Amino acid sequence: MDLENQKRVLNISEEFGAENVVVLLGAAEAEAAGLAAETVTNGDPTWAGPLAGVQLGLTVYHICEDEIKSEVDAGVYDEQVGMMEMVMDVPAIHEEMENIRSQYCKYL
Amino acid sequence: MNGYPVVKGAAYTLAATPSMVIYNGTTQTTERVVNPSSEYLVELPKHLRSYEDVISYIPNQVYIGNAHYDDLANTEFPYYDKKWEGAKEDGKFGCIMPEDEFYGVMHICDVFELVMLENSFAEQVKEKLAKREMFTEEQLESILKNNADQAELERLVNEEHSEGLYIDQTHLVGVVKRAHDVDVNLSAHVMLENLVSKASNVISLIELKKKNNFDPASVEYVIDCCEEACGDMNQRGGGNFAKAAAEIAGYPNATGSDVRGFCAGPAHAMLHAAALVKAGTFKNVVVTAGGCTAKLGMNGKDHVKKGLPILEDCIAGFSVLVSADDGVHPQIRTDIVGRHTISTGSAPQKVIGSLVGDPLKAAGLKITEIDKYAPELQNPDITKPAGAGDVPEANYKMIAALAVMNKDLDRSEIANFVKKHGMTGWAPTQGHIPSGVPYLGPLMDDCMSGKVHKAMIIGKGSLFLGRMTNLFDGVSFVVQANDGTVGGKSAAKKEVKVCKTANYYGTKIAFASEGSEHGQDNIDLAVELAAKKGIEAIVSEGETAHKEMEAALNDGTAQAAVTMHYPFPIGVSTVGKVITPARGKAMYIANTTGTSDTDRVSALVKNAIAGIIAAKADGVEHPTVGIANIDGARACEKALKKLKENGFDITFAESARADGGVEMRGNDLLLGTADVMVMDSLTGNLMMKMFSSYTTGGQYEAMGYGYGPGIGEGYDKLIMIVSRASGAPVIAGAMEYAANLVANDWKKIADETYAAAHAAGLDDILKASAPAKAAEAEAEEEDVPMPAKEVVTAAIPGIEVMDIDNAVKALWKAGIYAEGGMGCTGPIVQISEANKDKAVEILTKAGFIG
Repeated sequence: MDLENQKRVLNISEEFGAENVVVLLGAAEAEAAGLAAETVTNGDPTWAGPLAGVQLGLTVYHICEDEIKSEVDAGVYDEQVGMMEMVMDVPAIHEEMENIRSQYCKYL
Repeated sequence: MNGYPVVKGAAYTLAATPSMVIYNGTTQTTERVVNPSSEYLVELPKHLRSYEDVISYIPNQVYIGNAHYDDLANTEFPYYDKKWEGAKEDGKFGCIMPEDEFYGVMHICDVFELVMLENSFAEQVKEKLAKREMFTEEQLESILKNNADQAELERLVNEEHSEGLYIDQTHLVGVVKRAHDVDVNLSAHVMLENLVSKASNVISLIELKKKNNFDPASVEYVIDCCEEACGDMNQRGGGNFAKAAAEIAGYPNATGSDVRGFCAGPAHAMLHAAALVKAGTFKNVVVTAGGCTAKLGMNGKDHVKKGLPILEDCIAGFSVLVSADDGVHPQIRTDIVGRHTISTGSAPQKVIGSLVGDPLKAAGLKITEIDKYAPELQNPDITKPAGAGDVPEANYKMIAALAVMNKDLDRSEIANFVKKHGMTGWAPTQGHIPSGVPYLGPLMDDCMSGKVHKAMIIGKGSLFLGRMTNLFDGVSFVVQANDGTVGGKSAAKKEVKVCKTANYYGTKIAFASEGSEHGQDNIDLAVELAAKKGIEAIVSEGETAHKEMEAALNDGTAQAAVTMHYPFPIGVSTVGKVITPARGKAMYIANTTGTSDTDRVSALVKNAIAGIIAAKADGVEHPTVGIANIDGARACEKALKKLKENGFDITFAESARADGGVEMRGNDLLLGTADVMVMDSLTGNLMMKMFSSYTTGGQYEAMGYGYGPGIGEGYDKLIMIVSRASGAPVIAGAMEYAANLVANDWKKIADETYAAAHAAGLDDILKASAPAKAAEAEAEEEDVPMPAKEVVTAAIPGIEVMDIDNAVKALWKAGIYAEGGMGCTGPIVQISEANKDKAVEILTKAGFIG
């Protein structure tokens, strides 16, 4: 996750309280999604950004996970994500996200 | 409909610069600042490849054209541990150059004495570069100037903020000095970046010349599309890398400019170039870019961590020549263009929709109808280990998914689609370099071999990196195989069968087809129509069309020529042939474009003679001659009558109007009363266009035989004129008219007719108008008193309108009261009935009437 985004996540968490923040990811691959999820939960694994060593433990999902998909209007979802869903390996992403959440999320 | 600009040539080049990875790549320079003792910096040098390994790397061989992208697809991933059999540093599209020679090119490109090399190193580099036959002797000599010894180079690096140039990782062989001591935009760092961009650009531009058959002097505009900025602190992105590089690379007649759009820059630049060519602003435009030092080793940390060599160790360049349609090379469809707009948004679905789905839909094409897509063509060998995945493959999957959503493709076919419509990426990750354009070279082969009919080039750019907008960007365009019927040479066209039983079989006519307003289809149809009459048209087009046409005439390949414009010498009349509407009768209009004489009356007389020649040679045995009722008609009539009196064979037509006469009214034009209608060239030209296009509303000349042959004394080439608005039937008509003139030996008829005209005193008759004029001038100057006014009821016609006042004065001088006026057939002089006979006598004597 780039440094600017890390800074924004940190600021938002401080402003609204980490328990009130959900991070929604859109990365196209499980590995990339997992890295981003890890960053906002356990801290920046590359130790480069503002979240290095900061364990926010935020709730984090990928847009294509059923938990989120079911919350979105089906037409809007189809228009915005439908195409990418075909391209993405949704089960792999879900598995990776579950893995991160089970380890580091503090507010589930 | 026609004439899309073509991709006429492409060049791709690499400079292997492993030492620059260490000293100039931003991943490394940043690391040296942030973490100078990092393990990465220690490990890095061990992962730098040898020059031989750079050459034999398969993606590099694909880039310069020695291997095919299919070869790469058939290579087992990863690629870094494989070598291409028979790899060479010179390829079909360009070359690979080692670091030392590249520094020599930087020295040649530097015109401000900023690059200094170590003296003996400069000598060696000069020798090596001389063997490449890329630079002039003068340029090679310049490498030996402005150099220094090792100690001075070290001092410049240590004390003067110069950037070092190294070989073998640590050996200092040169420097780039700062160009200003305060201005950061002219710092050594920036100057090095910009000189590297310029030098790699120059190498590509030179390779473009070497590897493609065109005259660099014909290039009018060069567009640079790299991602650097040049300028001082007062104009940081002042620009024009384009012209700077083209100067060194030897494109003497070009100017240029820079187009920027991050990684999408090249695709934007291609659109600019294609539009400039399509609009006719320029015929040859080069899109070009050098590479980028900052991106060297960008993913180096991942590569080193995973035990790979540093694969981002080359400065890349590319150049593409975009030219006017030649009927051979692949065409850029300037009307099938995708745009990521401000309101498109950033959802991948929207992005791909705007770049791929929307433009194709607007053009009535399915996503599956594009044979190959060229999105970002990053080499997955570089991106995958860095966690960025296979970039082109991800794009292909998205395009396939969009095709599924558009119901152009079944979901189960996604994998097949990716294989069939995609390619394995081979481009170095130099930002703008992979952006669709690396395929333009291979695409020329694919299109010309029939493998690919349509391809789409897609460029995408991350504008947010500049912190001016959060927007993303992208443009795309379709390139299609040239079927040769849309603006090309006859050689590439479908075969036209000349009818062997038709009357004119055996006639060959050179046809300079350039400039038609009705496109190539019109030209093709004209050639077919002529072929049905047995006429073979030898078509030439482009800048050399007229040269080829004249060559064909001169060497006898063609007996006549047809062209849309031709600079005839003074003395030549063109005799058009039209079909008049009242009776469908043919009529010759003499003259339609030429200038037979600078004197109006002499011109009309000569037009009449040319008209008679053309009509006779076209098979009218005794053509009747009428003179359009315009200025100079009466004087022309007089001269022609004199010729006839003196024995010249001329038959005058009689106006169909009740009062008759040789002067032809508008009615006579429509009736075709005279076979040969004499008029001045401007009027004739007007008439030609009206007679040729009145049935079509004006834009398309559908009827008749065109503006005719140029006929003049001693003029021995048979060149027929048509107009840019002439339709196929008129062009074919002009060829038929020409064939007839050839069959009837027009030259002999012309020679005989001119001889007869001279024998009948043509020269004296033409001269005779001159003394009359002198007398008129004299009369004009004289202050002649007006005789007593009387009632004037008698009229004398047949006087030129310009001469009316002089005629009146001539009569006043003789004591006869006269008034000038306009009769129903033209100008008249009015006198009393009593004075009429005397007045006619005076005016005849003075030459006002015949």
